[in-house]
Amino acid sequence: MDDVQPKPLPEVNLPDLNQVGKPLRRVDALGKAVGATVYAADFTMPNMLHAKVLRSDRPHARIVRLDPSQAKALDGVACVLTGDDVKGAKLNTDLPGQTGREARSGSDAPVLALDTVRYVGEPIALVAAETLDLAEEALRLIDVEYEDLPAVFDPEEAMKPGAPILFEPDNVVSRYTIRKGDLDAGMAEADLVVESTFRMPFVEHAYLEPDAGVAWVDEQGVINIRVATQVVEHFRSIARALGVPQNRIRIRGTMVGGGFGSKEDITVEIFLAFLTRETGRPVKLVYTREEAFLATSKRHPFTITHRTGVKKDGRITASQIEMVADSGAYPYLTPYVLLYATGMATGPYKIDNVRIDSVAAATNQTFTSAFRGFGGPQAALGYEQQMDEIARALDLDPLEVRRANYMASGDTTCTGQEVSSAVWSEECATRVLAALGDRTPDSPTRRIGRGLANTFQSYGRIMWFHDTSRAWVGVELDGTVVIRCGVPDIGAGQSNSVCQIAAEILGVPLDRVTIYATDSAVTPLAGTSTATRQLYMSGNAVYSAASKIRARLARRAAEYIGVSEENILLENSRAIVTDDPSRFIELDALAKMCAAEGIELSHLAQFNAPFTDGLDPETGQGDIWPDFTFGAVAVEIAVDIETGQIDLLKCAASHDVGRAINPAAVQGQIAGGTHQGLGYALLEEFVLEEGRIRTPSLAEYMIPTIFDFPETDVIILESGTGVGPFGAKGIGEPALTPAAPAVANAVADALGIRIPELPFTPKRVLEAVVEAREKRTL
Amino acid sequence: MTLPAFDLLRPTTLDEALRLLSEMPDALPIAGGTNLIPDLRKGSHAPGSLIDVSGLPELCCIRRKEGHLLIGGGVTIAELLDDPMVAQTTPILTEMASSFAHTLVRNRATIGGNLVAAAPCCDSAPALLVLDAEIDLAGPEGTRRLPLAEFLVGAFTTRRESNELLTCVRVPVPSDRSYTGFVKMGLRKISCMAKIDVAVRVEAHSDGRCEFARIAIGAVAPIAYRAEAAEAHLAGNVLDAVAIAEAARLAGASAHPRSGSEYKRQVIEALARRLLTDVAGRIEGGS
Repeated sequence: MDDVQPKPLPEVNLPDLNQVGKPLRRVDALGKAVGATVYAADFTMPNMLHAKVLRSDRPHARIVRLDPSQAKALDGVACVLTGDDVKGAKLNTDLPGQTGREARSGSDAPVLALDTVRYVGEPIALVAAETLDLAEEALRLIDVEYEDLPAVFDPEEAMKPGAPILFEPDNVVSRYTIRKGDLDAGMAEADLVVESTFRMPFVEHAYLEPDAGVAWVDEQGVINIRVATQVVEHFRSIARALGVPQNRIRIRGTMVGGGFGSKEDITVEIFLAFLTRETGRPVKLVYTREEAFLATSKRHPFTITHRTGVKKDGRITASQIEMVADSGAYPYLTPYVLLYATGMATGPYKIDNVRIDSVAAATNQTFTSAFRGFGGPQAALGYEQQMDEIARALDLDPLEVRRANYMASGDTTCTGQEVSSAVWSEECATRVLAALGDRTPDSPTRRIGRGLANTFQSYGRIMWFHDTSRAWVGVELDGTVVIRCGVPDIGAGQSNSVCQIAAEILGVPLDRVTIYATDSAVTPLAGTSTATRQLYMSGNAVYSAASKIRARLARRAAEYIGVSEENILLENSRAIVTDDPSRFIELDALAKMCAAEGIELSHLAQFNAPFTDGLDPETGQGDIWPDFTFGAVAVEIAVDIETGQIDLLKCAASHDVGRAINPAAVQGQIAGGTHQGLGYALLEEFVLEEGRIRTPSLAEYMIPTIFDFPETDVIILESGTGVGPFGAKGIGEPALTPAAPAVANAVADALGIRIPELPFTPKRVLEAVVEAREKRTL
Repeated sequence: MTLPAFDLLRPTTLDEALRLLSEMPDALPIAGGTNLIPDLRKGSHAPGSLIDVSGLPELCCIRRKEGHLLIGGGVTIAELLDDPMVAQTTPILTEMASSFAHTLVRNRATIGGNLVAAAPCCDSAPALLVLDAEIDLAGPEGTRRLPLAEFLVGAFTTRRESNELLTCVRVPVPSDRSYTGFVKMGLRKISCMAKIDVAVRVEAHSDGRCEFARIAIGAVAPIAYRAEAAEAHLAGNVLDAVAIAEAARLAGASAHPRSGSEYKRQVIEALARRLLTDVAGRIEGGS
């Protein structure tokens, strides 16, 4: 993989635009830089109560007695709620019938445990008190007696006969089968069958901002919840849990200090809703870092086995894959995460004969749910490590094996879904390899390894969810622009992107656009900031709304100037004649003219993603996602074979983002996603022993600092073929996916053998060194 | 948990601080608080009062006196790191300080606090052990002096009585034929607890031979300790590759890591060998 020449790019004709495609200062940048941005934990209200949550310290137990009377009697305690008080309300974590073959709504997590706790950290009771200290004291006064139940901590064990059952009839949470082509025939055609098993740990999101919110009941009796969330639409679930109409719950999202999927689940908001309704007073709940570790979801551990039939030239004839995922105690989004991992299990490769069996099982551990990539990174750790194992088995260059199998536009995934946008896998791979430059020489104790990973990752939600987004765009009488769009901004530039799109279409500088976002009552609902969907969905909604207004403005300007509509260009806050810029009307004058004549200066648009039916239940064939982003990472590492320490020396990442709406923001997403993926490979492991957390805080749980890895060389490619506005594809999640498998392949390159389990800690590396010496690969 | 309520007392002299400590048995001294505050949040201590000793003038300076470097117990790791006299006389302390946590913690954590806390992964102890440091403990009856190795008893355990304060770390200024090295291995480059600390010091004869050596190891036993068998192997010998390899092997063998961490012996051996090889290469008059 040394001395690789970048593959020439296909010709793409991207128009030169004024606002889009420029690294403009993001609309949210200044507030964050000067500390003016107000986050969820910063809000206070008069007469406000402080809340705390009592949580289980048992992995699996029956609650024999739960007596809050002493806590309730404590002076300054306004309210204590238990499972009985919330009448067994549950979180809607699964949509029955939409999650593959098992529909298990009965196993949804209760808001507060009723009679059984199933993991350490499960909420049991809520307290609201005049001060935080009183709330904590009240927690200590709640009398809980448990009777421990047998527990299970491994998904494979959980599926064996006789295992402790979390929910009847068994611990299987979700299961998928994919049957494409003829596996047996494909295997028969193979010259060699390569089999490998890879394992991945629980991972903590470690967002900067622990979960927080403030709730109150307003003068109309509406419950308002100001919360850091990726999903303002949770007002519906909260209304259902409280038994109130949906229009009586209002979620006012805040700027979010990072979510990475963890704030896709309901966190503090449902507790706040119950407490503020009960007390009639404002209530605030802020998790400590340790509570955020204890109480929120993790990335799913997976065990993935690949059995791949290959020809001597590297061509894959058949792929059989088994996946086992750990759901933790409750399903939350496990069925969907497993679907993502399954649907992307064969990677960006054209494979005709596929058999995949995947299953997720419940255990008495912290629940797992969404985490940037949503199963895609685990799938990639399977298929990309396997590509290198195939290369090793055949003594071929890893890039050559990939070249022999890359899918092209028009080819299908393992579910038979045709990829219609550009597939620039080789363009990305050759660029990241070339970016590594000369190979660093080995020394007796430092072995150099290089690794490549080519991945693809969907953007946009599962199509049978019938996803929609809405945006309202208006032009004010001074020519400034307002956007109202319920897009939660989780720090990835979601709000800025839609502003740049509106600025482009309406021909105003970015600083003339103001966005009001993420309020379920007053901003049109835009859907979740998850699934790398906001640029695609809300970007298209804003594009559509702004285009409607642009057409009205252009029509009126054309009439005023006396040219045809097609000759009008909106630029620099003017409507100008395309071939004679001396003829123009200022946008503010045009807006006033329209307003006086009753021409509408605003528009509410809805964008609907393509809708499909679900997969065939027997074969797993069908379309799942709107489109995919293709990318690659290459790294060079040094393994100290005496201490087991790994130094990352060089890292390059390249993705085809379709069109970079803001290249600086895209670079930030790719650099940040890569860094997070490198941490997944080298540092991060959320350790549970018998269901108890051994890495309870940031002192034990190692996230990468800025000093740990060199700066990633980011190479942005633009095919212009995405389904987002201006041909954009999504990059939020895809940015993370290739980094960890690239590191895994580099470590295997350095040692000559593969370490089957992440992360690559000194201990695991040294064990591998011993094995490599025995096998004479080192 | 939120920080429990406590009274914060701020004495202005050492005598006043010692008097308060003796009068208030449930009080704890606090300097940087980088260990104590998290412990309080966890609920592992519940003192009624904290006595802030960070501003006591007697604890706050670094001086050179009668062949000793005197480092006040309240000197922060950042001050140690930035002190030119420390860099010149005991560069191993500068190296140690540069690997200690990260800037924000170094700005608050004190050398006295680090030793008194006596965590197994305490970084300052191995570096000070190879320097033959002693510590002064001031109490109501006056000040007593102990070798550091004697002061450190075990994990989170020292010979400090609850009414005593660690006022001073006394480091004999090494001769100009003293060569040192320090390495910390953690799971990442900064801001982590040590998995292994190794500190070495070689006092060389003018012909380059080792007069005596000190090798101390941290984070692989309840408390940092000296690998005396390894040291003995070097005393009087030429520091050639064979001697270094054997001393390093002995250093590794001295460790008793927890079950599952046996790999640390091998790492200690490698780190000790590298440090000693580096030191041997710097010895003037050596081959």
